[in-house]
Amino acid sequence: MFFALTEDQQEFGAAVTTYLAERFDTDAVRGVFEDADGDGNPGSLWKAAAEQGWLAVTVPEEHDGLGLGLVEAQVIARALGAGVAPGPWRGTVLAAEAIRLGGSDEQKAAWLPRLASGEAIGAVGLRGAAPGVVPAVEYGVIADVVVVRTAQGLGLATGARATPVGSYDRTTRLASLDVSDVEALPGDASSLQARATVLVAADLVGIAREAVSRTVAYDREREQFGVPVGSFQALKHALADIHVGVTMAEHAALYAAHAVDVGLDDAELAVAVAKAKASEVALQATAAMIQYHGGIGYTWEHEAHFFYKRAKRLAGLYGGVDQHREKIAALTL
Amino acid sequence: MDLTFTPAEEEFRSELRSWLSANIPDEWRRPGFWESLPDDESFRLRRDWERDKALAGFAGIQWPTEFGGRGGTPGMKAIYDVEMVLADAPRTVNPLGLTFLAPTVMAIGTDAQRKEIIGPMLRNEVIWCQGFSEPGAGSDLAALSTRGVRDGDDFVVNGQKVWTTNAVHGDKIFTLVRTEPGSQKHRGISMLLIDMHQAGVDARPLKQMSGASEFGEVFFDDARVPATDVLGEIGEGWRTAMLLLSFERGASGISQYTEFRRQYDEIAAVAKKLGRDTDPVIRNKLARVLTELECLRLHSMHVLTQTERGRDLGFEASMTKLQWSETFQDLWEVYDDVLGEDDTLEQLGDLDLRPLNAQAMWSRSVTIWGGSSQVQRNVTAERVLGLPR
Repeated sequence: MFFALTEDQQEFGAAVTTYLAERFDTDAVRGVFEDADGDGNPGSLWKAAAEQGWLAVTVPEEHDGLGLGLVEAQVIARALGAGVAPGPWRGTVLAAEAIRLGGSDEQKAAWLPRLASGEAIGAVGLRGAAPGVVPAVEYGVIADVVVVRTAQGLGLATGARATPVGSYDRTTRLASLDVSDVEALPGDASSLQARATVLVAADLVGIAREAVSRTVAYDREREQFGVPVGSFQALKHALADIHVGVTMAEHAALYAAHAVDVGLDDAELAVAVAKAKASEVALQATAAMIQYHGGIGYTWEHEAHFFYKRAKRLAGLYGGVDQHREKIAALTL
Repeated sequence: MDLTFTPAEEEFRSELRSWLSANIPDEWRRPGFWESLPDDESFRLRRDWERDKALAGFAGIQWPTEFGGRGGTPGMKAIYDVEMVLADAPRTVNPLGLTFLAPTVMAIGTDAQRKEIIGPMLRNEVIWCQGFSEPGAGSDLAALSTRGVRDGDDFVVNGQKVWTTNAVHGDKIFTLVRTEPGSQKHRGISMLLIDMHQAGVDARPLKQMSGASEFGEVFFDDARVPATDVLGEIGEGWRTAMLLLSFERGASGISQYTEFRRQYDEIAAVAKKLGRDTDPVIRNKLARVLTELECLRLHSMHVLTQTERGRDLGFEASMTKLQWSETFQDLWEVYDDVLGEDDTLEQLGDLDLRPLNAQAMWSRSVTIWGGSSQVQRNVTAERVLGLPR
């Protein structure tokens, strides 16, 4: 029995975490957050994502990738979530996954090396049907290629007309795409959606874990009534419950990634469990982060709202808690 | 990632399965069978069956062979826990002895204690009780006041223990006793191994809200115990108790998962039968519990992974307890929702609800015994998260 990350996998995640802590901390995130007109993809971070293999993670070696799996990708996703990091990493990795899974040799050769190197930016828009309007696509404005849903399955859209869409989660950028040209991409939408859901769940898990860590650190120091507020049982019990929940969500995201990677029988259930649990705990943990920082946690100058707003958006993406529970009910009742 | 067991472990599984399938009468699997028996009869059946199981080599799975164990792996213990549930095997009659006392005796007992305690326990010749909680010492165990006074070669013990599992069936009881007069809190306590078959010991059943009497009270009135029957050092009973309780940390929750997952299916079947399985609120609540159950399963794989690598999970055990006990309670609250206004009935159409109701009642106890949820949250907050005491 080995249900854990290997040392290599842990180091991969630690490298992302270290990079963000040293080179792209929440002050840098604030720069993106407050730059309403920017494209949301800071060049230095994108360069690091390319150079350190975050983009190439699941691309096969024959196409200049690392040839790793969804387990490694969720390690990166978790670290990026913990850092509330901006940028089109997930869309690029998922576009490459869609092409790897269903693409023709020509499509693979055309896109995979460029997506792996960061030369091309990918995006995924699974709502709506192309040709037509695809709403709320992450980094739709700067994407070079967008994987969209079509009547037949999936397609690759290039040159779509993009209209920026405002969101209070400004750790990312969204756009509505008017897609006219679509090139058919073999493969089914459900396997792409499963991978996308796992990576969003992992991001949420990272957000939740970091929210707990930052709140605990603050409540150990912050004093009221002459003692650290973290010594009050009202906070302790709430934070203990959230810690247990986040730990369970970590297990669930890891398992779902593995289940999808190797095609376990219960992969569909595992993905629904991971997304339902990760969404639930990320919402709890980020709300607790605001509450247990007191007034300062409600201010614009404090970073708590980056976590809260990102959690709010991702908790609903690819199905919220209740949609995934309905899926779980359908699978087990 | 490798979620499989070794060939040797799978071989163990099939051996165990064969033995269980050949040695559990069909009648025992009938819902309500055990509840229909008088308590003494049920206990005797289970006691004998478990002895035969031990003699067949299916006990002390992870214990060293020198102590009569099987010398198996943590994986085999996990398989054992799962297969026992799947086979509807009777619950052990010696849970406190097997889980807590035996490994403690192996670790710090004298050679004589190892010889006298472990073998007879495996064969159920001696049923062990645990004498920790008192009327005035529950979560605050160190407030215990049962006292032992030295008299020649013996201690003379007076006081009362409570919530004692199997009290009326017990042969011996490992008991925390204050042996230094006037000592406070964790100091001056010894763990005495007291024979319950003597005039100075009176065990009485405690009827629980479920109607059953798994627990009892034990009264000591000038009970005598030889001073050599102390586990660990005299006056160091707290240390012995902490070591003893640490053996719960290896518990992964897989046995609970397996049992509760079957109960989930039972409740789902009731919901279907009553046409409640299409109610979106019921579906949502059941799915929430299923989510937590799946998390428990994954958590148990995590614990097993760490245990196999020799890592002590320490205070993570509090998380395991919180996850399984709170989820179990939630599961049976959903059962109430499924039944709606019929939730207290004993019979509904041809459905005998009594065995299910018994589980629903039992679910109220699991967040209290073995360290209440509130204590577990304190431990998690202080020892794992590092919040100030």
